Amino acid sequence: MSSATFLALGHERRAREILTGLGYVFAPSQTKSVLLLDTFDGRLQRAGLRLQATTAKSVELTLSGRDTAPAYIEVNAVPRVADDLPTGPFGRRVSALIGIRALLPLLEVRADLTRGVLRDGEGKVIAIAELRESLHVVYPQGMPNIGNPAATMEIHVVPGYAQHAERSRAALRAAGLEECESDTFMVCATAAGIDPAGFTSSATVPLDLAMTAIDGFRLVLTNLADTVAANWRGTIDHIDPEFLHDFRVAVRRTRTVLANAQQVLPDMILGRVREEFEWLMDLTSAPRDLDVYLLEWAAYTTPLGSDMVSLLEPARDLLTHRRIDVQAQLADGLSSARATELMNSWQTWLTEPLDTGDIPARAHRPLGRVLAKRVTRAHDLLLARGRLITPDTPAEQVHDLRKHAKRLRYLLECFGSLLPKDARKQYVRRLKVLQDNLGEHQDAEVHIQMLRAVANELHEAGASANTMLAIGHLAERLDQQRVAARLEFAERFASYDSPATHGALDAMLNGIRR
Amino acid sequence: MKVLATYSIKGGVGKTTTAVNLAYEAAVTGARVLLWDLDAQGAATYFMRVKPSVKGGADRLVSPAGSLEANIRATDHQAVHIVPADFSLRHLDLKLDDAKRSTHRLSELLEPIADRYDLTLIDCAPGITLASEAVFNAADALIVPTIPTPLSERTLYQLVGFLAKDPDAPKLLAFASMLDRRKKLQRDLVTHLLDDIPGFLQTAIPSTSLIEKMGTERAPVAVYAPTSSSASAFRHLWAEIATLIRI
Repeated sequence: MSSATFLALGHERRAREILTGLGYVFAPSQTKSVLLLDTFDGRLQRAGLRLQATTAKSVELTLSGRDTAPAYIEVNAVPRVADDLPTGPFGRRVSALIGIRALLPLLEVRADLTRGVLRDGEGKVIAIAELRESLHVVYPQGMPNIGNPAATMEIHVVPGYAQHAERSRAALRAAGLEECESDTFMVCATAAGIDPAGFTSSATVPLDLAMTAIDGFRLVLTNLADTVAANWRGTIDHIDPEFLHDFRVAVRRTRTVLANAQQVLPDMILGRVREEFEWLMDLTSAPRDLDVYLLEWAAYTTPLGSDMVSLLEPARDLLTHRRIDVQAQLADGLSSARATELMNSWQTWLTEPLDTGDIPARAHRPLGRVLAKRVTRAHDLLLARGRLITPDTPAEQVHDLRKHAKRLRYLLECFGSLLPKDARKQYVRRLKVLQDNLGEHQDAEVHIQMLRAVANELHEAGASANTMLAIGHLAERLDQQRVAARLEFAERFASYDSPATHGALDAMLNGIRR
Repeated sequence: MKVLATYSIKGGVGKTTTAVNLAYEAAVTGARVLLWDLDAQGAATYFMRVKPSVKGGADRLVSPAGSLEANIRATDHQAVHIVPADFSLRHLDLKLDDAKRSTHRLSELLEPIADRYDLTLIDCAPGITLASEAVFNAADALIVPTIPTPLSERTLYQLVGFLAKDPDAPKLLAFASMLDRRKKLQRDLVTHLLDDIPGFLQTAIPSTSLIEKMGTERAPVAVYAPTSSSASAFRHLWAEIATLIRI
């Protein structure tokens, strides 16, 4: 249902009189709170949808959008994650979009709502007016109350009866009421400085080939530092697993860019910051490994059958408890003076003017040329290390190869705006095939090791023989996946280490090697 | 989007009250619902207080230029929209007969709005006609109200026989409608149908004065008698259907 919104401050009575004159009948007013919900990265907003929870006597969820009919459902409480959503089409639509992300309250507005309806001769509602008075922002707390608008009058178009709303709208306009471009909620969001689009953890920033290397590197690192900072609180509070994921990826990307910043950034900065980001990275490893394990749990165990899944519950419980334990360590680490000092000094260095005395002589080379060299070096290193892998190579070496592949990928993502889009896509597509294989191998390897530790602990705690047997089955299944990935490696690597990939690399870098 | 049709060869069995109440119950459970009144009598349109009118009539609707979008209207019930009936729908068979791909025309009309709704409920006119075949083609399931009387039972078996010939026929979900539990004959017939007809639903809709009151209230039962057994019966019927069609 589309609508027209008028600022009604000081004109509430007049607006109501005009509409009453047109035949609207107003009901007694009711105090209502409306809460806007979305994920941290605005997944619903990006899908063109808006999820609102309206609280009066009960909680009603509304899912609306420009290209869809609105849906409504009454719930007991405001949902936080997909599992809290009701079954059926409403819950399914929202779940499909938010995935594992939590629904966060972005803005809550409270108002005294007076609803008026216009009916035709059949008694059918043909236009709706909503007067909101005493409008104020309830959440985020501490947000200054909205001085203007503190009252609005909305005219809602009832599909199929647009002309009646249009007549009401014209009457209000003629009476001198100011019409807004968005509805009350978005007017309030704008006034409160809330951006419903959410935060996007994109590594790509606009860059220019003619830019100096140091300027380009600083822009990329500033964007990554913003992403780390944006996900910091959500990672400490463990709001959903994506905060840690995005935090960790931004830290990894930062480390990759720093590793490629020799002779671009001052050595003094590089040495200290690289060390500190390594520490930050180490803090996140155990929680992320456990997150991946728990997120993949259903996919790992469901094929074993429902009986096995039940028998494995103690193992899952233990992993869940371990996840809670490591969260405390992670939160402590991120709340420490060391972490705060790192981020403060790093962000300050990135934004303040450069001390020209510290800058390496070659930092002023064109960014494109530096990037071409760094990407070529990372590509060559990946090939050289990959060619050393045989069926007997220890798993650790395969894992190192995965890290090299990731570093190359991060480099391409962070500096992606410099590279021709189609050529980059072609190259990344080939790299991704190899990365997927290395990822499957590594996940299975890590999870087998974790499962061994869990098995020992459960055995000591006196777990049933059937549970131990089920863990054995799961370990065997994971090992099969590990072996399968390892067997497939040679073929995947050969496909990557091919003239087609070398050609894709050239196509991607030719334009920037100046 | 799932497409259901309330359908019966026989008239006066409660198709329209079923369509209107199921549309309302589906919307309450979070679905976006389009009720399409395809019966020229326009009873569903009347219950929803909407004027029966389709732009250009049945002629335009089934023509290549026809669209449902232009005829959609909101009802007074959240998330329930309606394509109203039009008296010209009495000639729908003839119009479809003139149109190309006549039995696919209703499916084609639904395609452009498939992302906007979770459920379309078509309220059909009685009889087996070309329009019915077009409905069978568009629908995932037919909701068939059956009064537990020998005549109604006979037409249900006629329909079962007709659909059996078509491997692509929609699922048949029949249920006991206007049930008078005081009558042994009706109770026995329901027991028989539950045993004999695959997909015969467990929920029965009773014959009550509250349901008859829809004509004066012009609203689904749950709107004016939300705690009544009649409203509860429609709620259960929807829950049973929703599970079977996996909406």
